[in-house]
Amino acid sequence: MKKQGIACYLNILAAILGIAGLILTVRSSTMSTDNALTNLSTLILAGVVGIVLVCVAIIVPNRLGNYDPISAISVLAAIALYAYLFGSCVSQRVMLIAGLFSFNAGNTVGWSIFYTCIGAWVCLLVGILFLVVGSFLKSVKEPMAA
Amino acid sequence: MHKNTRKGLWRGVASLTCFTLSLSLILGNVLEANAGTIDTYLGTASEVFVSDNTEENPLYNKFTPPAEVLNADGSGNSNALIEAAIDLGRREVAEGSVLLKNENNALPLSSGSNVTLLGIRSHSNLLGSSFGVKAQGAYISLEQALSQNKTDFANTIAWSVGSRGAAPSATISSWTGDEFDFEGAGFNLNPTMIDIYEKLGDTYIHYENEPAAEVYDPGEPSVDEIAAVDPAYKDSFVQYGDAAIVVITRPSCEQVDYLPGGVAEGLGFEHGEPLSLTQNELDAIELAKECSDKVIVLLQSSSSVEIGTLKDDPDVDAILWIGAPGCYGMLGVADILCGRTSPSGGLFDIFTTYNMSAPAMQNMGKMYYTNTDEEITRTGGVLGFTPGAYTIEAEGIYVGYRYYETRYYDAVAGNGNASDPTGAYGSTTEWNYDNEVTYGFGYGLSYTDFTFEFEGEPTFDISVDAETGAPSAFATFNVKVTNVGDVAGKTPVQIYGQAPYTPGGVEKSAIQLLNFEKTDLLQPGDSETVSVKVDLQYIASYDETYDNGDGTTGTYIMDPGDYYFSVGNGAHDALNHIMAAQGMDATKMSGTGNANQAYKKTITEDFISKTLFSVSKTGYQISNQLPYADWNYYQPGEVTYLTRTDWAGTFPQTYDAMTLTNEELINNLNGHTYALQTGDDTSDIVWGEDNGIQFYEMYGVDYDDPKWDDLLDQLTLEEAMYIFTFGGPSIPGADSIGTVETYMTENAGNGIAVNLNASKDPNAPWAISSSDPNGNWHPEVFANAPICASTFNPELMYELGQFTGVESLFTGINILWGPGLNTHRHAYNGRNGEYYSEDPVLSGVAAMEFAIGALDYGLVAAPKHFAFNDQESERGGVSPYMTEQRAREVELRAYQIAFEATKYDTADYDAGMRGLMTSFSKIGSIECTASEGLMTEILANEWGFIGYAVTDIYDDVDLWTAVLNSGTTCFDTRGQSGFYGTTTLESSYLFQNLIEGVGLSKNLIDGDANLQLKLKDAVHKNIYAWSVSNLMNRYNATTRVESQMTWWRAAYYAAAGVSAVVMVGSAAMYVLSFKDKKKEEI
Repeated sequence: MKKQGIACYLNILAAILGIAGLILTVRSSTMSTDNALTNLSTLILAGVVGIVLVCVAIIVPNRLGNYDPISAISVLAAIALYAYLFGSCVSQRVMLIAGLFSFNAGNTVGWSIFYTCIGAWVCLLVGILFLVVGSFLKSVKEPMAA
Repeated sequence: MHKNTRKGLWRGVASLTCFTLSLSLILGNVLEANAGTIDTYLGTASEVFVSDNTEENPLYNKFTPPAEVLNADGSGNSNALIEAAIDLGRREVAEGSVLLKNENNALPLSSGSNVTLLGIRSHSNLLGSSFGVKAQGAYISLEQALSQNKTDFANTIAWSVGSRGAAPSATISSWTGDEFDFEGAGFNLNPTMIDIYEKLGDTYIHYENEPAAEVYDPGEPSVDEIAAVDPAYKDSFVQYGDAAIVVITRPSCEQVDYLPGGVAEGLGFEHGEPLSLTQNELDAIELAKECSDKVIVLLQSSSSVEIGTLKDDPDVDAILWIGAPGCYGMLGVADILCGRTSPSGGLFDIFTTYNMSAPAMQNMGKMYYTNTDEEITRTGGVLGFTPGAYTIEAEGIYVGYRYYETRYYDAVAGNGNASDPTGAYGSTTEWNYDNEVTYGFGYGLSYTDFTFEFEGEPTFDISVDAETGAPSAFATFNVKVTNVGDVAGKTPVQIYGQAPYTPGGVEKSAIQLLNFEKTDLLQPGDSETVSVKVDLQYIASYDETYDNGDGTTGTYIMDPGDYYFSVGNGAHDALNHIMAAQGMDATKMSGTGNANQAYKKTITEDFISKTLFSVSKTGYQISNQLPYADWNYYQPGEVTYLTRTDWAGTFPQTYDAMTLTNEELINNLNGHTYALQTGDDTSDIVWGEDNGIQFYEMYGVDYDDPKWDDLLDQLTLEEAMYIFTFGGPSIPGADSIGTVETYMTENAGNGIAVNLNASKDPNAPWAISSSDPNGNWHPEVFANAPICASTFNPELMYELGQFTGVESLFTGINILWGPGLNTHRHAYNGRNGEYYSEDPVLSGVAAMEFAIGALDYGLVAAPKHFAFNDQESERGGVSPYMTEQRAREVELRAYQIAFEATKYDTADYDAGMRGLMTSFSKIGSIECTASEGLMTEILANEWGFIGYAVTDIYDDVDLWTAVLNSGTTCFDTRGQSGFYGTTTLESSYLFQNLIEGVGLSKNLIDGDANLQLKLKDAVHKNIYAWSVSNLMNRYNATTRVESQMTWWRAAYYAAAGVSAVVMVGSAAMYVLSFKDKKKEEI
């Protein structure tokens, strides 16, 4: 293993946040059968693939060096998948949230789902942010030129 | 630049833009899925409804606004529309405010009076409810109405704060439109107190639309806090001491009730209850006494406030109830205070000394079965309702004044242990009317005096339709009203009745409102004979045990005997007249009676048979339809209902620990009320025929015209399921009949909740453009429902409906979720501001007039919440248990009056409301949405309802089959209608957990002939309701939908496009940077 650069650490954090985001997304879907996400299995698949791709982006630069195309593609795809997970969950929660802030403020289960979703979304968005920032930076430290 | 750095840069930019691209697409997806709602709030139009105006099928010729609100060229005149709204809002409150006390002619005040306003709500006014019936937009404040002559809309925009800590928000962003002149009261107001309350507003924050609260604090500053702002404030009283006006408020709202004992600590609530006055409020009144010899209290509420202390206080000269008056209603208040208008309202509810003394209060709030966890398997649904909530309505028919007046009658008569202290709050030794009641239902004072006398004998018109057996039984009372006072005024003419009661027999109220009218403006000395037509069905009683002889039980009966009718200033006055006519002991009475204002009619079987009303006006045999409403139906003997036979022995106990043991009861509560069939022969049910008929051709076609069958046969089964499933704000499109998806419904009954420049029908000739200076005007401006009820003026109620209909033409809305039409079961219901009254006749007439008036302009008014929404606490699925007599005589009668609309029937036309929204609540053990007895037997068969019967939002989506079977015509699936999106029967998450254990699909009812027929019926009723609405203004053979580019759509398109281009470019540069490297290596 080479000495790791900042991007590697950011990607590791992004992977962890992705895992947390995915777990919270699943949790939000299972808190109430009436508010289950309709495409949960697809979302889980997207989340898992996204996390795997981030892992690829962590590992591959050790072999291929900084800014290699495989990790670049992995990061791009992971960003898209994290965003899909985030967006799909948001679009299915819009009416729930609209209700909570208007006619259905007493929905305690709904508020729990809402807070869980907020947690998931924060994890995913921050994870994406780390992936983006990491894309600009080196994953491995290169030896100083002689 | 170093090559690696360049690579990193391009890779980073590609990642960044990948993110912005993804975000844009996500955001776009969310926006598109909710485009209808987004458009409403942003004033944009994602799709336009396009029809070509042709000679054969001209547009906008079926319903048009009146000329007064149009310019000469037929375009809309926003200034005139607002002017008309201000005028109507003013008149509504001027007629609906109720003068409760006026000692020494304290009111009116003369113009030029120097007046001090006290109470922080005199400065920060309460105008509407926090949710539901808000007062939206710019308003005229009390201070302005009393002292100024021109609006300052730019600086008076109503704010709203929701319940449960929701953030406050302005109801419109700003006002840059016209300002309007008005005639104020001409008072000079004490500026010192205005300044003080302005400063105290930083601590005691109030909004124009506020909620009730389970732990209530009215937010009234103390006298010490006033002094802390300006120690010398009392010095100003000398100059502004002509009168002191104190404002006291109790708001109402959706979602939240007041609760017994639910008061914030340390405020010194007089009775420890939220509707009693706090010490600071009482101190404000004491301050008023220091300020002036004339102390006037303005009371704002939608329920009885406990003001017995003020009534009895000789230093409080006048009390004027003004409700929640909407954006312009303070002008009406000013009219009364300065004497421009003599008050003529009557109380919408009885005002009791202690609200807790109502028998209904023994069973309200949050109660749950003791074994919910063990027995209730049905979930709380997508809205997260709490399973297992219930309330036992053990008071029976004795709601509001029916309880207090009937017990009073029996106390005077010495019947039924009525004087026993059980249930008394004003005494420990006896129940006494004067102790328990402050002001009676229907009561109200005027600046003048009126006499009432029956002019001749009433005429009775009794007949039975030979073909159907439907009865028609009316009595018309001609009442000569004379203004014997010194100023001009109007007055309600309220006709009450009393049916003969036999101890142990069917329960009967000693007095009940039967109908009302209002005089014209009578000058001093003038008389008017007012005819009031009474439907005698409303004095019949529902006997649940009556054997109909055909295997059914229960129907309306009219016991032979002496019936009394009277005209009076409210229920108590009317009852006193009857008691005088009956020769009861005047020394035991509260108040005096005049036998000449009562009329006795002995009804024999020959005149009106006992079972005349066992057949409805549609000719349908009436029998018990809601047995499951009664707890005792399942678990006999566990509930005792209040009876006149023994007031003391049957006064309701609190049933807060009921246990479910009956299997049928548990089964019903778990939603298993319909068995889906899978093997029926449905080959006779026609779907997908090509009969060449289009929806636009159905305008004016009678509901039972065979042409409807041809149209309905054109629908595919899937299209019909779509129309039933995805209702609410929009009409789902159906290609086979030429309908396109259309946003059509909005909320509220005090105006239409859509900004003027956000019309859903922007092609209308009168549509207000976005550039119109008044385009930001919001039409939801009128007072809360109790004010409307208190006018006791059917013509004004009709006019309010008409004006809302006009608003609907300007806003492109053809169905209105309103007005609210449930009964004020008790004063603590947070929703009372949206419902008219505790009396079903007053409520029913108000709603009927409103709805028929609205239909003049093609607006279908859909009253809510049908039915039994007696509290907001656990409103989602709460089970109110009651007798069927109570259900019919108290809860349903208001709807019956509105839906039957007998007043407007003609030989050729069966008038009625054409829409409704069901309740979140159950009736007993069964959801209202799924109750066949309620939705089909009573609503459709007995009352002849034809129209759009939508659920409340997302309600009972798991009971899809039972809801369809019941007669409900569609679900409200706001935001899930497939509007601009791709929602299908299979993909909507709302319908994936049906009680049958499957998800909804287009094949679900392939094998259920009953449901297919019910579906046809539901769709027929929906489309018929659309066909009588102003939607038909814009429909013809060329109707289609065209997409439009809105700014928000353009923004996300642009963001996505730019992101995509930059991402691809960055990726390319990233790849090229490898090429450069290779070159360098060569």
